[in-house]
Amino acid sequence: MNVGSGLQRARSFMILATMLYRASHLVIGLFAVVQHRPGLPVAWLVLLAAVGCSVWVWGGALARGVFSGWAVWADVVVSGCVLPFVALEWGGPLVPAADGWVMLLGTSAASAAAVAFGRIALAGAVVVLTATHVAVCRTVGASAVALDGHLISLASSAIMAWVFWWYLNRQGRLLDAASARALAAEAQKARYAERIDHYRALHDTVLATLTAIAGGVDANSPQVRERCGREAAYLRRLIQRTADEEYRPELGAALERAVRSAESLGLRVITQYHNLPEAPAEVAAAVADAVTEALNNVRIHAGTGRAYLTATGVGDRLVVTVVDRGRGFVPDRVTRGLGLRRSVHARLAEVGGRAVVDSRPGEGAVVELRWPE
Amino acid sequence: MITVGVVDDDRMLLDGMRSWLRDVPGLRLVASTATVAEFLATTCGAVDVVLLDLVLRDGSVPAQNIRRLRAAGSRVLVISTVPDRSRIVSAVAAGADGYLTKDNDLPTLVAAIEEIAAGGTAHSPEMAFACAHDDDPARPRLSPRELQVLLDYASGMTLKSAARRAGITVNTAKDYLDRVKAKYQQAGRPTYTKTDLARRVREDGLDGC
Repeated sequence: MNVGSGLQRARSFMILATMLYRASHLVIGLFAVVQHRPGLPVAWLVLLAAVGCSVWVWGGALARGVFSGWAVWADVVVSGCVLPFVALEWGGPLVPAADGWVMLLGTSAASAAAVAFGRIALAGAVVVLTATHVAVCRTVGASAVALDGHLISLASSAIMAWVFWWYLNRQGRLLDAASARALAAEAQKARYAERIDHYRALHDTVLATLTAIAGGVDANSPQVRERCGREAAYLRRLIQRTADEEYRPELGAALERAVRSAESLGLRVITQYHNLPEAPAEVAAAVADAVTEALNNVRIHAGTGRAYLTATGVGDRLVVTVVDRGRGFVPDRVTRGLGLRRSVHARLAEVGGRAVVDSRPGEGAVVELRWPE
Repeated sequence: MITVGVVDDDRMLLDGMRSWLRDVPGLRLVASTATVAEFLATTCGAVDVVLLDLVLRDGSVPAQNIRRLRAAGSRVLVISTVPDRSRIVSAVAAGADGYLTKDNDLPTLVAAIEEIAAGGTAHSPEMAFACAHDDDPARPRLSPRELQVLLDYASGMTLKSAARRAGITVNTAKDYLDRVKAKYQQAGRPTYTKTDLARRVREDGLDGC
């Protein structure tokens, strides 16, 4: 599940909502202590413990995107059960206006429990909190009406949080399923378009050539043989690309266009792909443009009829090389580097990539493209 | 004189090979068949270099084909139309001494046959690429230098520029490539036992030759 999924958004919202609920109780507590017990250290300690426990539970949940079950249990026990007894034991004679806020902590603990726990654990937490409320009210001799009020607000906090969470959780899952379906449909559509592209290309090349040969064209003439060689190379690349399990249509298709335009001008391009990474359309276009220019350089300057193109994914990084075994050049003082400098270096830099050119006279040349840099 | 055999089930390729190799001085094509079993049945005594199609249509396993030919005393140059990388790697591990795609020209092919007949390895960018990008977790460990030379050679560079970029001599660079092949063969050896070999020899009827 990724951070932006519907389920995660539902979870984050419930963390935020229960956190605001708890924050309201702490604010009530702060006013109560300042107004009624400013000189009593235990009251301040209880407030401090409640704040610390809350920061630990909700801070951790915000950081991780999910409640920690142990932390919420600890909050139920400490804020919901222990602190009321501490206030009762050492807080001096109880005054509802001064000490009632401590009982509120249990209701916000119950709301967090409704989000963090399964049904059985939630029921357990509510039972423990109810028992605490009953015990505290009995001890201070509160009226039955006050106890009922406490218990109703405890139960409704748990039930409301649980219902909200159930609803948002369900909506989140539905949303995730819908976006997964939309993505799959999109991919299906892209694959279909890609296939139609292939059929069209096969129709214009291999099928046309085979039909011409079947119809009686001299298959041994140099032109036909050259054309057959070129089309065999096309089929070879096609098989290699589709065989790649992590096949990404955009980059592969862009490189294919670069190769075919070079081959149509008479350069043989021996191509090998491996694990092409996913790249944005503008990166695919920039890399393909740089490859086109590098292949042009080979065709015009290298004095060789063949070039080697490799495109591989190393993790999320794309490494493309255009290599020839032609006459090479001195890399520092090349006039022919103009095309390389402008089209290759600049084009790659535009999309956050990097090009390195390496050559020696008599040793061919290497143009290496990396993205991201 | 180097004796050469071809095992391929593509009629057109067999015919083409025959006419190609007929006029090459120093090479003699002694057998061309569609399967390894057929090949071993028709040849008596070792053929120096066998050109073996990577994927035969008889359903045989490439590695097994290579072992049988090696057991019969031949060296093997694997050829195929499409560079199927995982099969190339297993062919190297099984003892193939080289790999070429079928679209190479005659001089390249002859040079590869001569290199293999002399006991060397016919390296090709495709073979280097298959080893360099082998994702198998059980792949042999290559040193950073070996991997660099392998990657550079796989990208189509000449051995000379791969050597210069690594700051070593051409001979050392070639040693590195040979060492990569040797590592694969060592890693692939466990399935290649002496009893296995003896059984193969009996099966192929070589001991009665």
